[in-house]
Amino acid sequence: MATGGGPSLPPVPPTAVTQLIQTIILGLLIGGVYALLASGLTLIFGVMDVINVAQGALLILAAFFAWTLWNEAGIDPLIGVVITTPAMFLLGFAMYKLTVQWLSGAPASMSVLLTFALALVIEGSMGLAWSTTYHAATPGYVDESYRLGQFYFPKAQVYGCGVAVGVLVLLYVMLNHTWLGRSIRALSENVQSARLVGVNVRRVAALTFAIGVATTGAGGSIISVLYPFLPGSHYQWISRLLGIIVLGGMGSLPGAVVGALGLGVAETMTATYISPRWATAVPYIVIMVVLLARPQGIMGAKLREDVVV
Amino acid sequence: MRRIVWLLALLPVLAAFVVAGCGGGGGETSGGTGGGETGASGEPIKIGASLPLTGDFSEPGVAAQQGYQIWADQVNKAGGLLGRPVTVTVKDDQSDQNVVVTDYNALIQQEKVDLLLGTFSSLLNLPASAVAERNRMLYVEPAGGSPEMFSRGFKYLFFAQQATAEHQADLFSQWAAGLPADQKPKTAAYVIADDPFGGPVAEGIQSQLEAAGVQTVYSKTYPPETTNFDAIANAVASKQPDVIAQGSAGLADGVGFDRALIKVGYSPKQLFQASTPSFADQFSNAVGLDNTEGIFYAVSYHVDAPTPGNTDFLAAYRAKFNTDPPEDAADAYAAAQVLQAAVTAVGSIDDQEALADWLRANSVDTILGTLSWDDTGAPEQAFLLAQWQSGDEEIVLPEDAATSDTIVNPKPPWKK
Repeated sequence: MATGGGPSLPPVPPTAVTQLIQTIILGLLIGGVYALLASGLTLIFGVMDVINVAQGALLILAAFFAWTLWNEAGIDPLIGVVITTPAMFLLGFAMYKLTVQWLSGAPASMSVLLTFALALVIEGSMGLAWSTTYHAATPGYVDESYRLGQFYFPKAQVYGCGVAVGVLVLLYVMLNHTWLGRSIRALSENVQSARLVGVNVRRVAALTFAIGVATTGAGGSIISVLYPFLPGSHYQWISRLLGIIVLGGMGSLPGAVVGALGLGVAETMTATYISPRWATAVPYIVIMVVLLARPQGIMGAKLREDVVV
Repeated sequence: MRRIVWLLALLPVLAAFVVAGCGGGGGETSGGTGGGETGASGEPIKIGASLPLTGDFSEPGVAAQQGYQIWADQVNKAGGLLGRPVTVTVKDDQSDQNVVVTDYNALIQQEKVDLLLGTFSSLLNLPASAVAERNRMLYVEPAGGSPEMFSRGFKYLFFAQQATAEHQADLFSQWAAGLPADQKPKTAAYVIADDPFGGPVAEGIQSQLEAAGVQTVYSKTYPPETTNFDAIANAVASKQPDVIAQGSAGLADGVGFDRALIKVGYSPKQLFQASTPSFADQFSNAVGLDNTEGIFYAVSYHVDAPTPGNTDFLAAYRAKFNTDPPEDAADAYAAAQVLQAAVTAVGSIDDQEALADWLRANSVDTILGTLSWDDTGAPEQAFLLAQWQSGDEEIVLPEDAATSDTIVNPKPPWKK
């Protein structure tokens, strides 16, 4: 008989308070990743009133790209971000030019139809290319944790959250301190005025869509390390992302961050204190409650279909 | 207006893409070999099955297809079934309950197969066996041990493993409950997939350990598609249970939970998981070979088992696939052996009811051992208790089938 087994850590049973704090830590770490994933979706909606239902499928596509780079070339997925992000940017630009630009002026609901079709095309193509089995990138640190007193911080989540925050900061700086960023914000406020002050609306819209899709490059790379995924996983992700931007306020980037952190904590708390069975229902419950109680979300400026441009 | 026309024009193109995409996943593969190798002659006997070759259950589905293939090859080499060659047609149900129903209906109505073989997982066998029952076709399933399967009064359903799900872990529960007082577990946590097979395995352990006085400190159900197990592992670890039993549905959820336990740094004294640890290399690669030490699971098959026909199966499988057969391939092979025994004994494939009656009244020697069934088609034997020891899968109980004479207890801590 082997000896020295049994519980190795934590040495003392955690109290209710430390468990609550640990639960919130796990929720915030995953919420940070959610924030990046939702940022592209909310950016695209804010600027061009397009609800990109294909964002979840693009995310999984980027995860497959990252997995392939890791599996074939040994590139760590979190470093592979520098390859997947430009790749998704180009794909987003092509998607816009080939399909999305023909939507301009059409109601937002038309964009749901078009992008849902695109999501199905991407899902089917991924099935052909990578087969519909679970994939997961597993660099050495996936099951390691940092420890601080009684608390633990899973390394993969910490790194993933770090990359997500980095990309979000870049996005924020770009939106607030570059000419392109100002054009994007002008476009989201008023298309006609933006055109009057010399913004090339078609070009900026194309770039915005491409940037929104590019965020899935980093997002998908992080996902490939954190969770096993298969082509059909995108349904779960898009419902979660829609829940986040409805909660935060559609079109608002700070709202997406707040909504993401809120949803991350809500999911983790539900799994811990109510039942894991209810955790997957949290995004849907959030959507229903927000639409009933505060349709514009926490920080949203627009009221979904009520937008009059 | 022009834009709308454009969009409309695009739709058929998109639809074509989607169909092409799905077609790749849902295509039909003809898994069997035709006759004519030696001996077998005449019109082939057509056997049909649908398996989850893609989707959540693709690991066992692909393994089962290999098991059916090996069986068909061997039968054809040995002169066929009733002197006729056999062909096995395997469709891909994509792990989808709706597709599996469509597939079995198509096999019976359109392709007019002579015999059926079952699919994988209780989730898919539940609807598929109902199609077979409605068409009065014998349905021998290589998996599908959920108690729900056998409470429906079916007459054509037979499960080709040793026991149903709630009894899968009997040997583990009895062993844990029978440990000397200073080692006997006092508390246990149950992490249960909302799955008709994995769920009852953990519930079976829970009811037996509770009866033995082991206190339940955590028992919660999670959806099988769960990928984030950090919150669950953290909640379980905070209760510091001696035993953790996970009623996992497949490979991904069991590995996800193990990784989350490693991250939180909690190692129980005994860890039992349904299904997951039986995925051989796929399991040990995913959690790390060092981390497998001491993990228990119940299993229907072991490569070193001295069961009738096992050496032939093993040789054929190794020759064809260059590796050891996973349990699911052996289960599928055994299901085909059961079908073969019934057909051979009855001497005809025209009367499916006679085949079912014969199976209810007789026992069959398979590579899993001798199997027999009660009136509901539920098997009456016991699973083997297996444990990962020094990077290998060992049978530890019952003693007469054991490949290792020690049981690692308590489980050593995770290696990192």
